[in-house]
Amino acid sequence: MELNLAWRLFKRELLQGQLVLILLAITLAVLSVSGLSRVSERLQTAISGEASKFIAADRIIDSPEKLPPEILQKSTELGLKYATNLEFNSMVYSGDELQLVEVKAVSDTYPLKGNIELTTGETHQLPPLGSVWYETRLAGLLGNPKQIEVGVTTFKMDKAISRLPDAGFNPFASSPVVLMRMEDVAKTQIVQPGSRLDYRYQFTGSPSQLKEFEDYVTPKLLTTQRWRDVESGDSPIAGAIKRAERFLLLASLLGIALACTAIGIAAQRYCQRHYDVVAMLKTFGSSAKQIRFIFTFHLLFVSVLGVILGLLGGWVLDIGLTQFLPENIAAYDPSIWRPVILGVVTGLLSAFMFSVYPLMRLLKIPPLRVLQRQLESHTIGQWFNIVLSLLALGLLGYLYSKSLTLTLIVMVSVVMLAALLLVVGFVMIRLGHSSGLKISNPVQLAFAGLMRRAKQNAVQLVGFSSALVLLLIIFALRQDLLNEWQQQLPKEAPNYFLVNIAPEDSKPLESFFAEKGVKATDIYPVVRGRMSAIDGEKVVTRKQQEAGEEGRLGITRELNLTWRESLPPNNEILSGEFNGQANEVSVESEVAERLNLKLGDTVTFMIENQPVTAKVTSLRKVHWETLQPNFYFIFSKQALGTFDYTSIASFYLDQTKNSNNELIIQLIKQFPTVSIIDVGAMVGQLREIIDQVSLSLTLVLVLVVLASALVLLAQTEAGMASRRRELAVLRTFGGSGWLLRLSTFFEFALLGAISGLLAVCVTEFALYLFKTQVFELTTYMHWNWWWLAPLSGAAIVASLGLWRCWHLLTQSCSNLLKEG
Amino acid sequence: MSESVENKPAIKVVNLEKSVKTQEGLLTILKGIDLEVKHGESIAIVGPSGAGKSSLLGLLAALDNPTSGEVFLDGVGLSKLDEEQKAALRKEKVSFIFQSFMLVDTLTALENVMLPAELAGVANAKEKSLAMLEKVGLSHRLNHLPKQLSGGEQQRVAIARAFICEPKVLFADEPTGNLDEANGSKVEQMLFELNQESDTTLVIVTHDMDLARKCQRQLTMYDGSLVEEKVA
Repeated sequence: MELNLAWRLFKRELLQGQLVLILLAITLAVLSVSGLSRVSERLQTAISGEASKFIAADRIIDSPEKLPPEILQKSTELGLKYATNLEFNSMVYSGDELQLVEVKAVSDTYPLKGNIELTTGETHQLPPLGSVWYETRLAGLLGNPKQIEVGVTTFKMDKAISRLPDAGFNPFASSPVVLMRMEDVAKTQIVQPGSRLDYRYQFTGSPSQLKEFEDYVTPKLLTTQRWRDVESGDSPIAGAIKRAERFLLLASLLGIALACTAIGIAAQRYCQRHYDVVAMLKTFGSSAKQIRFIFTFHLLFVSVLGVILGLLGGWVLDIGLTQFLPENIAAYDPSIWRPVILGVVTGLLSAFMFSVYPLMRLLKIPPLRVLQRQLESHTIGQWFNIVLSLLALGLLGYLYSKSLTLTLIVMVSVVMLAALLLVVGFVMIRLGHSSGLKISNPVQLAFAGLMRRAKQNAVQLVGFSSALVLLLIIFALRQDLLNEWQQQLPKEAPNYFLVNIAPEDSKPLESFFAEKGVKATDIYPVVRGRMSAIDGEKVVTRKQQEAGEEGRLGITRELNLTWRESLPPNNEILSGEFNGQANEVSVESEVAERLNLKLGDTVTFMIENQPVTAKVTSLRKVHWETLQPNFYFIFSKQALGTFDYTSIASFYLDQTKNSNNELIIQLIKQFPTVSIIDVGAMVGQLREIIDQVSLSLTLVLVLVVLASALVLLAQTEAGMASRRRELAVLRTFGGSGWLLRLSTFFEFALLGAISGLLAVCVTEFALYLFKTQVFELTTYMHWNWWWLAPLSGAAIVASLGLWRCWHLLTQSCSNLLKEG
Repeated sequence: MSESVENKPAIKVVNLEKSVKTQEGLLTILKGIDLEVKHGESIAIVGPSGAGKSSLLGLLAALDNPTSGEVFLDGVGLSKLDEEQKAALRKEKVSFIFQSFMLVDTLTALENVMLPAELAGVANAKEKSLAMLEKVGLSHRLNHLPKQLSGGEQQRVAIARAFICEPKVLFADEPTGNLDEANGSKVEQMLFELNQESDTTLVIVTHDMDLARKCQRQLTMYDGSLVEEKVA
């Protein structure tokens, strides 16, 4: 019977539109969680999927020696696929010509992801046994031979490679690559005990398989072996992906927080509307159990419908968004269950947690209310509600983001907002005691109204302010992230690299660029050298250090060094200065930190068997993602200018223009010894990823705006009855129409302005935490917000308030009294 | 209930007092009220605003607790009952009509009438409600919502709802207070017809002296005390 009654009440209220607000709130919460989690999961899968093609695998183990067979066996047991790469340097011969190459021998499972692209446009799996594939450069250097000798064996020069899937991005790779089958390595007899070899094991599998394997293998790895994925920092897109993922999480988290606020307010309204019904049911003798049953089920029906609508909305959102995504990304189809489960849990949990307190008050309504209409239930401690709401927010936040830092920052911001509101509310209540109804001046009347409704206004401020805070945070972070990416990857980021530029070609090349109007970076001379000492102390590798060898930690592999008169424009000096004086070197800050290099230290490099010592005079921050020639060590001209060098440069060309293809051909003809590396495809891919992330950020912003609008709407609904009574009284006592309209406008405007101000305070605080703790972005104050937010808060709240109250403001006095 | 024997009064009030705390101190609303209402009797409680009529009604109907004294409803002393037991007593024995009708505005006329019957677990609630609505002349308005009905019609729905569970005592708080004269007298007529038909004890709080005169006894209250009793 009670179930019947709950269902009937639900059905009728639904049809009469009385449940719109709470339904919308729950729907939006579920929609943002399920929709966004699916969208962001799709984007994440797609991004990391695309990105993992850069390493031709999901995970990699780099090792100077073979991995023990049990590790590989374990990976197979776990269902992973793996490919083995062996890389070593060797001289190859063709007749009298010889050239140092990097031999890359691969197992027949290579590549696990992506394709080997050949110059003919074909994409093939692997070279046949006894043949090698080679980088075009090699053919030019050796005079287009039919075959080459590698070690003691002759191989057929089969096909030219234009790109290897895991070539990464290294314009300094001085030796051309030769690709051969792993089975052919033994025939060369190059690999002997003590040979310098690099093994690379590539793995693919499902995230859970990879995780299990990672847990198994990482404790077993030696210090010389490295486990990495595409986000390990080597890839230029790693930083962008990490931040984008965190932003998506945060934005959805804030969306949930806002939807929760809306649910909280709507639940309160929902319960207030039922005060009379509960009083009546009690009068007619319903037991507490019956009433509890009826309203629990009633709310359950509302929540379930909200959840269903939210899931449908999320699904439609996902489908809608997929239409705008590039095909390769839309093709990723993430699991449908996670968003569904998250959505259901969010909807039910938030509806429950935010309704418990109002529901408890509802159930405590005394039956005497049927005779004494102003009676409400005895207030149960408000702190209980606050604790419950914070708990709900924390629980949902953590469930969704799995990040304690993010969740805590959101909660700390909420607590700060609540504390500020408490102070403002307290001040208003104190002032409210001294204010009456002054019917002379609209501003006074508005002020008096604001103070009189202090308690109710404090609740309204929660909604207005939290909506504003979240909007501002999302807006600011989105802008900062986009700007950061934009700076790193300007629209005309270089898409061609020129390497092996002979000194005598530098000037003609510069003229060529100037003549054709091509935007090119400076031309950087490159000298190769090996670090030998820091402050006169011999440098050793970490491995040697661990083996007990004396010496200071350094980099012992050969490095690309450059010299300049001033630092490149995209390098930011963190400390010291660079004057291009004799024997001066500027060091990249992360390397300096790793090697514990400080200003004033000296570093010695062996170049062409001569030691070159320079003093560290500045530390620089380098944006590796900028696709420009970047260096760890930049010397003054005097230090390196006497050594032999070749140069490198990069430039941008619009690849969609046909005339530019001709320009490239012209360049090749005019400078036949210069190698051109086309990184256009990679730049395109990077840009595509950033565009997708921007799109999802915009989408999140739209959802947050929707949730804010809902909160604002829920807010103005509250307190409509008391406003009606007051307007009736003011009208009766001769308040003119314009006075009431103006005072209502001022009252809402004042409320909006206070919300705006509070919102800015909390936003600046929250942004500081987010930027320093999560996003590693530069912090700064948004001074223009301090007037913009109160002003727009006033405008938005005043217009919304006037719109919602207009029917009251335009009614006749008798109507107001009758309906009141 | 075995106590509800004929010789016991429907309502008996002994030295009833009610005080409430206010900012100015303790305010006594009801002072030493003694009263007996027989089964099937109709009484009107009249008096100026603030005399304590509605407060007395709340106490008689087991909606509120007195500061001292006792109310016996159909022989059951209310002070010994907790809220749940009082609710059970109300479900079994009493019903209400209010000045502001107090219909559930989202339920139809029929559903409003069915409400107490369903709560009480009456088997054929719908059929009984249909019959009740026919009695009050609203069989053509079954599926209308309260806001689609006139004030008089809404109060007739409330009357049908009040009688659906065949209460022993019916409490009415200003039942015609929100109605015009024509509708008011129509509602009065129905109230007394149904009252006689079902042999209900009727307690009406009203300002309307015409309505009060139709009751068998009129009690006048002033400043929290019963000051005068007239028998029709």
